[in-house]
Amino acid sequence: MTEVTITTLPAAPLHVFEIWGNAASVAKRFKAATGFALPATGRSGGNDALRLIRFEPTVWLVEGDISALGDVLADDGALTAISGGVVHMRLSGPGWRTLLMEGGVFDAESPAFAAGCSAATIIDHVNVRLHVVSDDACDAYVPLSFSQGLRHFWKQAAGILAG
Amino acid sequence: MITFSFDGKAYTAQEGDTLAAALLRNGIGLVGRSFKYHRPRGIMTAGVEEPNALVTVGEGGRAEPNTRATDVFVYDGLVARSQNRWPNLSFDVGSVLGLAAPALSAGFYYKTFFGSAKKWMFYEYFIRKAAGLGNAPTQADPDRFSHRAAFCDVLVVGAGPAGLQAALDAAEAGKRVILVEQDNILGASLIRDPQELDAAWIEATAARIRGAGGRILTRTTASGYWEHDLVTLTQRLSEPGQTPANGVAQRLWHVRAGQVILANGSIERPMAFAHNDRPGVMLSQALRSYVRRFGVVPGKRLVIATNNDDAYKTAQALKDAGAQIVAILDARPAPAGANSGHRVYNDAVPLSTKGARHCLKSVSALVDGKTMEWDADLLAVSGGFTPVVHLHMQAGGTLDWNEDAQAFIPASSRQNVTTIGGAADPQPIFKMVPVSSPNKSFIDFQNDVTLADVDLAWAEGYRSVEHLKRYTTLGMATDQGKLSNMAALGRLAEKQGVAIPEAGLTTFRPPYTPVTMGLIAGAGAKDAGAHVRRLALYDLHAAKNPIWQPLGYWFRPRAYPINGESLAQAALREAKAVRNNVGMTDVSTLAKFEVSGPDAAAFLEIICATTVSQLAVGRGRYTFMLREDGFVFDDGTVWRLDENRYLLTSSTGGADRMATHISYVRQYLCPHLRVSAVNVQEHYAGIAIAGPTAKAVLATLIGEEPPRHMSTVPAVIAGIPVIILAASYSGERAFEIYITASDAATVWAACEGQVMKVGGALYGLEAMEFLRIEKGHLVVGGEVDGRMTPHDLALDKMLNKAGGYIGASGLARPALSEAGRRQLVGLEALEGDIPEGSMLIPSEGASPQGHVSAAAFRIIEGGSVALGQLVDGFSRHGEILIASSPTRGQKARVRVVAPHFYDSAGERYRD
Repeated sequence: MTEVTITTLPAAPLHVFEIWGNAASVAKRFKAATGFALPATGRSGGNDALRLIRFEPTVWLVEGDISALGDVLADDGALTAISGGVVHMRLSGPGWRTLLMEGGVFDAESPAFAAGCSAATIIDHVNVRLHVVSDDACDAYVPLSFSQGLRHFWKQAAGILAG
Repeated sequence: MITFSFDGKAYTAQEGDTLAAALLRNGIGLVGRSFKYHRPRGIMTAGVEEPNALVTVGEGGRAEPNTRATDVFVYDGLVARSQNRWPNLSFDVGSVLGLAAPALSAGFYYKTFFGSAKKWMFYEYFIRKAAGLGNAPTQADPDRFSHRAAFCDVLVVGAGPAGLQAALDAAEAGKRVILVEQDNILGASLIRDPQELDAAWIEATAARIRGAGGRILTRTTASGYWEHDLVTLTQRLSEPGQTPANGVAQRLWHVRAGQVILANGSIERPMAFAHNDRPGVMLSQALRSYVRRFGVVPGKRLVIATNNDDAYKTAQALKDAGAQIVAILDARPAPAGANSGHRVYNDAVPLSTKGARHCLKSVSALVDGKTMEWDADLLAVSGGFTPVVHLHMQAGGTLDWNEDAQAFIPASSRQNVTTIGGAADPQPIFKMVPVSSPNKSFIDFQNDVTLADVDLAWAEGYRSVEHLKRYTTLGMATDQGKLSNMAALGRLAEKQGVAIPEAGLTTFRPPYTPVTMGLIAGAGAKDAGAHVRRLALYDLHAAKNPIWQPLGYWFRPRAYPINGESLAQAALREAKAVRNNVGMTDVSTLAKFEVSGPDAAAFLEIICATTVSQLAVGRGRYTFMLREDGFVFDDGTVWRLDENRYLLTSSTGGADRMATHISYVRQYLCPHLRVSAVNVQEHYAGIAIAGPTAKAVLATLIGEEPPRHMSTVPAVIAGIPVIILAASYSGERAFEIYITASDAATVWAACEGQVMKVGGALYGLEAMEFLRIEKGHLVVGGEVDGRMTPHDLALDKMLNKAGGYIGASGLARPALSEAGRRQLVGLEALEGDIPEGSMLIPSEGASPQGHVSAAAFRIIEGGSVALGQLVDGFSRHGEILIASSPTRGQKARVRVVAPHFYDSAGERYRD
């Protein structure tokens, strides 16, 4: 039996943090302001107050308090709110990797896709951003309009895994 | 014991039986009828290559026609029915077609096109009546289907001795391994010939593979090999017609492999001789499988015809099982088979058979130039072995000719694929040529193609193997020529006087074995194939029970009927509310992009064909975008929210395309710009309020003076921060209110309360269409259909004169400025309603000069108006044309006018 639970997390501020120039300077200012480095591509970093997840070479998803980031970016990037269009879901339990293979195209079963890793992929036609939060859980950031359909798809697939 | 039924009669089977094994166990040799001549057919093989024993398995929506009896494992309650017979399998009226065989030879239906068309009308009925094999179920399939991805270092296809060993070696070397086997147990040839490696070895090897982390999938066929070593696997989680344990009948795997090892083995070839298709003629290895795997001995007196050593194993197996080996006809000269202990005839090839209903009566052969005949109820044939090269060829591989085996074997491939085992090294055989009459010497059993058909095609000039295939239908049945292709190639080469490799090969295409439509659809089989996109305000709309309209993946309210209104009545009432008072609608699905940075304006002037940089903060304008070839592909508005921050909107239907376009421009064309372009389509829900009293309504909502037309301000409604854009699609004073989607319901409720308070109404897409057509506003997918330039749409005055936008160069092509192009026009009906989509013709019978892209009723004045595209339309205002839709039998006389039917000066949306 492969178990997985799908939970929709409460809405919370979510921003796109994009750098268009002077990346090294921004990284330096960022570390000075936050105490941790900008995460590398496909990785996340941060703490309970602020977490950045990198999905593209110059783009991070930001959860939490962004008050310091405007100064960090200065004229080298922009911060754009997107929380209204994204539903934050959590897939938890030993079956989350198998569940993500259903309708997927991404190797979620790879041991290298471990806690702190992120990926942007397509699952059953829906563009989804993934972030592994622990061995037993992976977060998915799903477009609002597709969220109900994908949740239904996952619940059906989870039922199959559990059967 | 398991109970099943065949043609309504109950039988029993043993655990692990295929339907074919169970039928043979019950003494049933006649299983089906051939496609064209309705000849009685039995079970020829023990695998997926079976051409004859096709049955329908299951009932209702779960019924699966053309299921190979050799490829379905019997379960309790299985219901199977024979096909292509009436009234029953034993007495099939259609078998009379066999008497007409000379008239139904290769390509006969092409010949029905000769002569007058009336003849074809006569033939057509009968050909259509006879076409098709099995009946597709008319009920919906109750089962579900799954698509799953998998990744591995090594994918091994085939779990015979070579495949098992390869998978074990890779797994124990630390590789991620997937081993697939189309059978329900592992072993393949070892099941039939367990002398060297027995079941214990198979079990131990499988355990070691699993122990090393390998994944083994049985009942799984590698059905397609695609680019980049992507292999699709078809996994049966339940048998055809069976109720799946957890609702899922089949799974389609998409496996991306670092390396693919093909251990597919070979398929035994039949021999071509007269009446080689009767029940009781079986392939030698298949017969051995039934004896050794299933304990079924389908006959008592056996003749074997062979050109190789392998068939002697069958003789031994049958002898061990108690059957009498009447004769072994070995095509090879003496002393082949001399020490076998059986009665062997050398230089012997089969000539013909005689048969009873379920088995043979006798076999005749040419032995060293003389005809001999034996009483026998079973004939095992082995004409050599054809390596299974399908996946190798689908991978773009090449083949080498192996003279000893008279077979093609895999050679190189541009992908990372290797073939091992029997498919790479087939057994040597003796080359033999058919000596029997070609007329009833079948080579494609399912499609009733004989050697005579190949000869006829040759005589009629078909030289290419591809033409031969299509003319004769050889290899085009559900078995895709697994048994027939080599025989046909041999005959063609013989006719051409060349060696087989020079005769050519047909193309190997996926799937290797038939795949159900439900499996291809996957989870989408139960709906439209993809998820429906829900509006953020879906629940609020649904509570009003609107008429929904699909728009791309979205469902949007088309109208909100009240008091039993029809769609048209509701839409007209809603549109009148907008014209006379105020209406509100959900515009959340519009594409929206937030563009920020010092170079935002420069970036937008590359995306948009209009100027942007001159916009003052708080102002907006209409804009449109071109493809690189200069044609309009989308339109929208652009708003300067702040010094370096813009909001770009574009059409709902083109939203995904525009997102891709913007990403492409940002990343490939303009990586140097200091700009961020973020898709905020779903971040913001949108509400439009339109009508003569819209300004007053909004003023009440925001507590201040609303912005003037084409201006934007931030505001607060019901305590929620919003962005207000003063823009009009309806032709009235109007505002779009954008809110973070999670807060949209609160703002919608506040707006609705105020709109209703002044006697306004909600309006849907239908009313919106009336409003915009009357105003002459464009819609992407209607007037903007990918063939219109800014000039054609009268937008050229808005083009950025400085150029530099995408499409500027393409637009400069002289041909796009020449006369004779279709141009946007308005159309007024002189009488009747203008049919949407109708063609515009100057007179009855004349060639079309344009078409109606959208039609509507005039909201206040009544009457039918439309927008359309017309050749040189700008200079034809005042002309009378006919809008004709012959397919609907509708037409209307129309006058060509300017494409603005309402407030052409735009006074109503300016303060």
